[in-house]
Amino acid sequence: MEGLPTSSALSRRALLAAGAALALVGCGPRLGGARTVRYANWGSPGDDSDAMRLVRGLYEDFELATGVDLRVENIPGSQEYLRKVLLSYVAKSEPDVITLDASSAAIFIENGVLQDLMPFVNGANGVNLDEFFPNVVEIAKRGDALYALPVDFNPVLVYYNRAMFAAAGVPEPQDGWTFADFRATARALTKGEQYGFEFANWMPGWIMWLWNHGGDVLSPDGRRAQGYLDAEPCVEAVQFLYDLVERDKVAPRLSQAASMGVDLFANARSAMKVSGHWELVGLASAPKVNLDEVGVVSFPSRLEAPVTVAYEAGLAMGRHARNPEDAWEFIRFFTSEATQKEYQRTGIAICARQAVAEKMATTEVKQAFVRAARTARVPWGARVPKYDQVERIGQDMMDRVMQHGTKPAEALRSAAQQIDEVFRDA
Amino acid sequence: MRKSQTGWWFIAPASLHLLVFALVPVAYAAYVSLFRWDILRDERTFVGLDQYQRLMADQAFWGAMGQTFKYALMAVPGGLVAALLVALAVSQPLKGMAWFRTLFYIPAVSSGVAIAMLWIYVYLPERGLINTMLMGLGWPSIDFLNESGWALPALAFMSVWVGLGPRMIIYVAGLMSLPVTVYEAASLDGASGWQKFWRMTMPLLAPTHLFVLVTSTIGAFQTFTPVYMMTNGRPMGTTNLVGYHIYVTAWENFNVSAASAQSFVLLFLLGLVSLAQFRMMRRRLEGYDAS
Repeated sequence: MEGLPTSSALSRRALLAAGAALALVGCGPRLGGARTVRYANWGSPGDDSDAMRLVRGLYEDFELATGVDLRVENIPGSQEYLRKVLLSYVAKSEPDVITLDASSAAIFIENGVLQDLMPFVNGANGVNLDEFFPNVVEIAKRGDALYALPVDFNPVLVYYNRAMFAAAGVPEPQDGWTFADFRATARALTKGEQYGFEFANWMPGWIMWLWNHGGDVLSPDGRRAQGYLDAEPCVEAVQFLYDLVERDKVAPRLSQAASMGVDLFANARSAMKVSGHWELVGLASAPKVNLDEVGVVSFPSRLEAPVTVAYEAGLAMGRHARNPEDAWEFIRFFTSEATQKEYQRTGIAICARQAVAEKMATTEVKQAFVRAARTARVPWGARVPKYDQVERIGQDMMDRVMQHGTKPAEALRSAAQQIDEVFRDA
Repeated sequence: MRKSQTGWWFIAPASLHLLVFALVPVAYAAYVSLFRWDILRDERTFVGLDQYQRLMADQAFWGAMGQTFKYALMAVPGGLVAALLVALAVSQPLKGMAWFRTLFYIPAVSSGVAIAMLWIYVYLPERGLINTMLMGLGWPSIDFLNESGWALPALAFMSVWVGLGPRMIIYVAGLMSLPVTVYEAASLDGASGWQKFWRMTMPLLAPTHLFVLVTSTIGAFQTFTPVYMMTNGRPMGTTNLVGYHIYVTAWENFNVSAASAQSFVLLFLLGLVSLAQFRMMRRRLEGYDAS
């Protein structure tokens, strides 16, 4: 102990100073020291897939190129991600940059927790928004302000198994088909344990049926459901889906589908399903479906042109980002053409940059998604802050119809009332 | 005086813990329930009892409360009967009973999330444990957690299993405290095993029944983890139990004021239910004292 004269006042001061210095070194960057950017993204912290390794490589490229210390916080589960990130704003411990899901963008934008990126976009170190799909850029726009720069997006289309169509001697569907065509096709493909279609009660995946019948969940200003969700086109759409399951029996009941315990489409037990571009990743290793045998087509529609949605993901900056310039640098880097050419090799979605999207659309299926992207709608969650509650009510409504046999008109009327109550309470 | 000061020091840590982590948050929740509080914008307006008034007409909340009553009606009596039967079995003076008691108690010391994950597999359609057995008997597979008629009973059945250990231990303690002499006298009078159980064990266990009944009812009304992990309140809101509903109101809808008001209404109703249970059992307890 001779070498450590802790009893002297000098050494006590020295120890305190050293401790304080260590604390500062340890805590400084975590608290947002110079050249540190905290970035929250959804995903599992332990994910070591090929896609995740590719993404981590891109993060390292950014750090090497800029000298910025990028702290990535992966949060699993989309709902958990939403809650955790929103609460981090409440606790004033928010990340500098977040991945903003279009389906829940409004709650961030309308509550004023994000920073307008237009000064950066138009600045010396800016980007050219004309290089992006314009309808996708619109998702996070409010007037002249832009709250997220889009990275990529997923339109939702009807997948079909070409081999099953060929085996049944049914012609492949074409864009512009009608609901009657869809029904006849599904009937022709149903035999034995094989279904023509597979329906899942996931509102982001079935809202397009309402749209293509000419209906919608909310009024154009997004403030009212009564008069819209309970209107005739929506009743007809839900009745159509119910009939596919219960009258025509061309799709399994929800409980039947679940009790089969497998992905019906990936196991060649249903010939058609509705899904986004992300489905291709899973189908690449599907047990009984060859990716070459998969086709996609627009929804059947009674409108002039079929409608789908753009489930987009973008990068947004917190209103109180500690290092806005570095945060913008990361956003610019990650949405740049060079980075996106690498990132989009994950194959999950379509790049928001038109040139990259077109270049990567090397198959008919991918080209169909890019075509659909041009007219894809902004999801309601990007406009209506309480839309997650609307979706919960919508899914309950569909359960009532599909599982309880409630008449669509009655279930939709009740759902519309509940939604308007939510808006009234807001 | 010194003795009394020492006593205060002994209870100080627990009291401090209770104050900081229970009483202050409860008081703060009461305060929050008097506001319309937008936590995302950090804007608050004092509204007095308005949240409580609105709650009276909140169909979703009362729907959740109704489902919770149904759940409690399934889970609590089922839990009591199962625990009593197991307690009677493991109280037999046979070799190895201590092991059985330990085995039955294991779920009580396991993580609620892990248990929920386990039961998701137990209830899995087609490949789950129960469905494998059903299909083995030639019956169709049931999607327990997604069919509206099955989801709530499935959660209640699981809660009987989870709560078996703690309830069993309390019943075992109750059984062990019963006076042997009374049973000996009954035997001499020629009472059968069933008569001794029904006319002696059951009434003598009245204080134990009351304790298990009250704590199990409160536990049923606080159920959260299985709903969060297994059903998210679906299908059709049949498993939207009030504990989960309060969570959704606070942390999915970000309406902390309404959630606080809901919590106090739940507290009030639980107080009423517990009071009713105490009153119901009082007669039996009085009879027991008189005898």
